[in-house]
Amino acid sequence: MDDLIATIKQVLAETDMVLGWTRSAAAGVAVPARFHTPREAEAAVFDSTCVHNLAVHLPRLKDRRVGIVAKGCDVKSIVQLIAEREIERDRVRVIGVRCPGMVDVKKAWRCFGFGKKVEDAGGQVAMEGKTVAREEILLAKCRGCRDAVPVIRDAAVGGVQGQSVAAAGELAGIRKRFASMSVDERRRFWRDQFSRCIRCYACREACPLCFCRDVCAMQTREPHWTGGGVDARQSEMAQLIRISHMAGRCTGCEECERACPVGIPLMLLLEEQNALIEELFGYRAGTDPEATPPLLTFDAGKDAGGGGL
Amino acid sequence: MSTIPKKGINATTPLVPEPATVVAVIQETPAIRTYRLVFDDPALMAAFMFAPGQIGLISIFGAGESTFAISSPPSQKDYIQFSVMRTGAVTSAIHELAEGDRVALRAPLGCAFPVDSWKEKDVIIAGGGIGMAPLRSLLMHLLDNRGDFGRIQAFYGARTPADLCYAEDRAAWEARADVDFIAAIDAAHPDWSGRVGLLPGVLEEEQPPAAGAVAVICGPPVMIKFTLQSLERLGFGDQQIFTTLERRMKCGIGLCGRCNVGPKYVCTDGPVFTLDELRRLPAEL
Amino acid sequence: MRFIASDGLPRLLERLREDGAEVWAPRVVRDTLNTVLFSPWSEGDEIETGAYSTLSAKQLVLPATERLFAYRYRLTAEGEKIEIEAAGPGMHAGETVVFGARACDAKALGVLDALFLSTPGQSYNDPHYRTRRAGLTVITLACTTCDSACFCSSFGAGPAETAGSDLILYPVGGGYLAEGFSDRGRELAALDIFEDSSQEKPALAETAVLELAGLEQKLLDIFDDLDFWRGATEQCLSCGYCTYACPTCHCFNIFDEMQGDRDGERCRSWDACMFYTYTLETSGHNPRPEIAHRYRNRMGHKFSYYPANQGEILCTGCGRCIRGCPAGVDIREVLKAAAARPATPGGALQQETES
Repeated sequence: MDDLIATIKQVLAETDMVLGWTRSAAAGVAVPARFHTPREAEAAVFDSTCVHNLAVHLPRLKDRRVGIVAKGCDVKSIVQLIAEREIERDRVRVIGVRCPGMVDVKKAWRCFGFGKKVEDAGGQVAMEGKTVAREEILLAKCRGCRDAVPVIRDAAVGGVQGQSVAAAGELAGIRKRFASMSVDERRRFWRDQFSRCIRCYACREACPLCFCRDVCAMQTREPHWTGGGVDARQSEMAQLIRISHMAGRCTGCEECERACPVGIPLMLLLEEQNALIEELFGYRAGTDPEATPPLLTFDAGKDAGGGGL
Repeated sequence: MSTIPKKGINATTPLVPEPATVVAVIQETPAIRTYRLVFDDPALMAAFMFAPGQIGLISIFGAGESTFAISSPPSQKDYIQFSVMRTGAVTSAIHELAEGDRVALRAPLGCAFPVDSWKEKDVIIAGGGIGMAPLRSLLMHLLDNRGDFGRIQAFYGARTPADLCYAEDRAAWEARADVDFIAAIDAAHPDWSGRVGLLPGVLEEEQPPAAGAVAVICGPPVMIKFTLQSLERLGFGDQQIFTTLERRMKCGIGLCGRCNVGPKYVCTDGPVFTLDELRRLPAEL
Repeated sequence: MRFIASDGLPRLLERLREDGAEVWAPRVVRDTLNTVLFSPWSEGDEIETGAYSTLSAKQLVLPATERLFAYRYRLTAEGEKIEIEAAGPGMHAGETVVFGARACDAKALGVLDALFLSTPGQSYNDPHYRTRRAGLTVITLACTTCDSACFCSSFGAGPAETAGSDLILYPVGGGYLAEGFSDRGRELAALDIFEDSSQEKPALAETAVLELAGLEQKLLDIFDDLDFWRGATEQCLSCGYCTYACPTCHCFNIFDEMQGDRDGERCRSWDACMFYTYTLETSGHNPRPEIAHRYRNRMGHKFSYYPANQGEILCTGCGRCIRGCPAGVDIREVLKAAAARPATPGGALQQETES
């Protein structure tokens, strides 16, 4: 941790704040924190419970110079924000960290109880005598992760270079079952899933790329694209609006799914779409700050007037 | 503030409005129209009671419901009047209304000006722009009960002559000897032979005495701010000054939790507040 | 004291169902990444008695969305008229039993009653809420364990709270001791599914205590300290999770849903004071534009305004907002910091004078 703290202090010298994590006694896991002074930075930690994608704060801090501790997948969000000209590269200092793969904290809490200290060592995640094999309790995105190495970085902690340490793994649980469903079964599956949606918009607020936020089409009454009520059909429509707006923009960070309080497996939809975008355009969001996202190539002069919207 | 019976509100289903019909539309200014509404249920209309300062929620189905001050006086039993400035979806929909169109109304809601406690007192009224709407109701009520009050001075300011509402009423008030009514516009204008100047300045020139008087002000925030300063210089205390607050409302009955300023709900504790009450509320306007 | 064996619980719930009640209980929902929710229960469904439900049981009295009335345009002899048909309470209007509420959930119902069932004349009470509340039976599961998000002991009797519960079940060997705290609860405990027992009540959980004394005034005293509120909310993402999961948050929105060109329904649904659009006015003015303003209002409403107006704190320490916050915000840390913060002077007109 000394290396991390020293790096944060260095970055603080040229920024207004550094976004990172600290340990919460109550939650027993890491929680997001902002470090404004070297003294505050002493509390910084990085471990396999640093699940949050802190890039979500960058569009909200556009007028500040911000340092950010970022895992490989978080860096993809930063890259995408830069590619979309939402944030300026010069204002961000990226502290890349070597990611060991993140524990699915929600799942750990279900196994161990909220607030129990999660210890992750030797391929096992343990708490008060109970243990679970690491690969069983990692976040889905960490299985077969292709992006553990930060694409851009201004500083590095923990020998970031060249090593992907994420666990290999297969589709598990719902994902596996979903893959074998017919179209009708899938339709019923989603209707059932969205019947639990409470329209809290945690999915949107936790997404670093959903920077429209307060003027989001999921919520607006003008145009009146979705109803204001909590209802499976309306919620499904609202979510499909959000997801289609993520086409070629979603970096697969899974924050929407992690934030969803009622456990809707949103990544099933996004993974499908991301695969399609890669197949159609050879584009993976968040991997190249110089690339133009495929849906930002619309040229009003050339592309308008055809079939239209 | 005084609470009076809320006769237009169905006590068992307070969120359900009553059908009403537009009986007249008056184009007041380019952006403001006045609507006169009548409940479709004659019994309800006959029983309708309210006091100046109270508000109503007009429903335009599909667009929603919005809050407006009642601008007619309680003595007007033929209709309930609202003046509406076009600002958003609901007010734009209201501006589409013509005579004979059907709407729905929940009224009266909120607390009224405590006129019963103003007996024998001088009353100073200062309205700016659309803020004159509740003050029209108040002024007409005071004139209906003219003997109960001391001197009545009413000031009404707007940007240009075209921005002044209530032309007929203004002529009537100007003609009366028992009310000192002054309409003023912000800057000299070829169509205007009346008073010119910002309302706070006009008020200070007239020097209404503060002793035994109350002042009621309503208008845009900047007008309120400077009028308060003028009243302060004239010696008015915080408990002598009344105003009304506006806040986005939904339920209008203190349940939905939206229109609060600190612990006070504009819909049920207001919209009428004394300056003294406002000073004790958190700064969140 | 009465006793019910663990395998008697499904029989009890099934009997209540046969008597016409809809029964809700905490269950792990299939295909949900391990989410526990109060869900409709029928025979054979497994009940989750260990984990807390992610959402509270408030939906049984305040559904997420409900109809207020339908409106229709009709051509009559006097021309076109609007017909308005008030909706009944619809959902959960009959007998409803919630099994497996915790003391904090049950207490929350009493906290809501203080507003929604307040004396007519003082303010309007809510007919839909009243109907649902009258038909609701609360069977509470006493907590012998807790987690680090629990802080019910800061409010009233904590885990031993009986307010809002009809029947409380205390886990003991082989089943539960049962004690009724209303006529309905005592009637249930007298059923033959229960038997007499001389067992002792178990020791209840000891949950965290947060010092709340003085907070009602302190939150007003630091209202203008925006540095504090901005610092306290720097991680908040402004989603509505905490308000929707909260058993006492009750703010709602009202809107129209069209059916066809002109007819439709007016509905109300949960709304969250953490949303930017919550107080946004049509002019574009927003009295609470920043997350800091909105969170400050949320704390004020819970710990200052509602206590001043309704005599109840709008929080029962259930910990849901802490367990589920996607950004790891802990309301207790904010309140502790608020308590320690020195007062700043202020008033409603200060802001205007500055602008």
